[in-house]
Amino acid sequence: MSAAFLLAAVLAGEVDASGVGRALASHRGHPVVLTLWATWCEPCVKEFPSLMALARERKDVAFVSVSIDEPEDRKTLEAFVAARRPPFPVHARASGPDQAFIDGVDRDWSGVVPATIVYDREGRRVALLQGEHGRSDIEKALARAAR
Amino acid sequence: MRLSRLALVLGLAAAAQPAPGAVAIGQKLQPFKLGDTSGQTVDVGADQGRKAVVLMFIATQCPVSNAYNERMAALSREYASKGVAFIGINSNRQESVEEIAAHAASHGFSFPILKDVGNVQADHFGAQVTPEIYVYDSASVLRYHGRIDDDRTGANVKSQDLRRALDALLAGQPVPVAETKAFGCTIKRVAQ
Repeated sequence: MSAAFLLAAVLAGEVDASGVGRALASHRGHPVVLTLWATWCEPCVKEFPSLMALARERKDVAFVSVSIDEPEDRKTLEAFVAARRPPFPVHARASGPDQAFIDGVDRDWSGVVPATIVYDREGRRVALLQGEHGRSDIEKALARAAR
Repeated sequence: MRLSRLALVLGLAAAAQPAPGAVAIGQKLQPFKLGDTSGQTVDVGADQGRKAVVLMFIATQCPVSNAYNERMAALSREYASKGVAFIGINSNRQESVEEIAAHAASHGFSFPILKDVGNVQADHFGAQVTPEIYVYDSASVLRYHGRIDDDRTGANVKSQDLRRALDALLAGQPVPVAETKAFGCTIKRVAQ
């Protein structure tokens, strides 16, 4: 089995904005934490361990991770994910216009990374956290999602 | 062209106040003063006959902002002769004036960069990413907000949004696409 195959298997596949929507919808009935990030984004890399820890603790919550790394950085992304083995699927953004992706995921998202969007069980957004936010902000949003 | 002091005269009476935390297309620039990298205070919001003013929230440590260094430098030089002023604004808490000055020198920036201590202006404008651009016309009205172009790498640019906005303003035409978005780094704000 080639190294390339093993690396490629660590990602959950490419998604465009519609694909992100489908990934979210597949978890209907559970609160969802969607994280949008990039390997070149220092705050994103810094918060990744705490996201992983939160995901391990909150089995009642679905975590969906989408990297916006460029296709030419795919190997970097794969190596990053392979080294950390997160307990949630990590998708790579499919090629396409950035703005269409940004607006397709959430019209209120500015395009900044990191961005974390929390949805309730019915798929309604309860929080859009743009930029650096600590674990407590996500937990507060999850508490609102549970109401 | 090194500007030791930039003063832009106020235009018409101010329009409605912008919503908290963001400015909107069609609204007047609210004047402000910030220090540049040489320690001089720069007035932004008073007109000296500029055809347009381009405010750019930028960074020294953001890969996306840095991917645009050459393009920002080139655009500012090209449009200076057309009466357009470019002004950089750094709102990142961890990027010092010394670092900003060194970064500007190494990348050949001919535009001033203002240090937005406490991210006051970033909050006023509602700026979220670097780079993020705000273009004001000769009447200090916001006419374009968003990205420089649609390709971070510069290899496959299909839409030169900032250039298109400036060319429209200089031609006295409406800006065809007034707002755009792009991926970028978070502005490192001071802790709340």
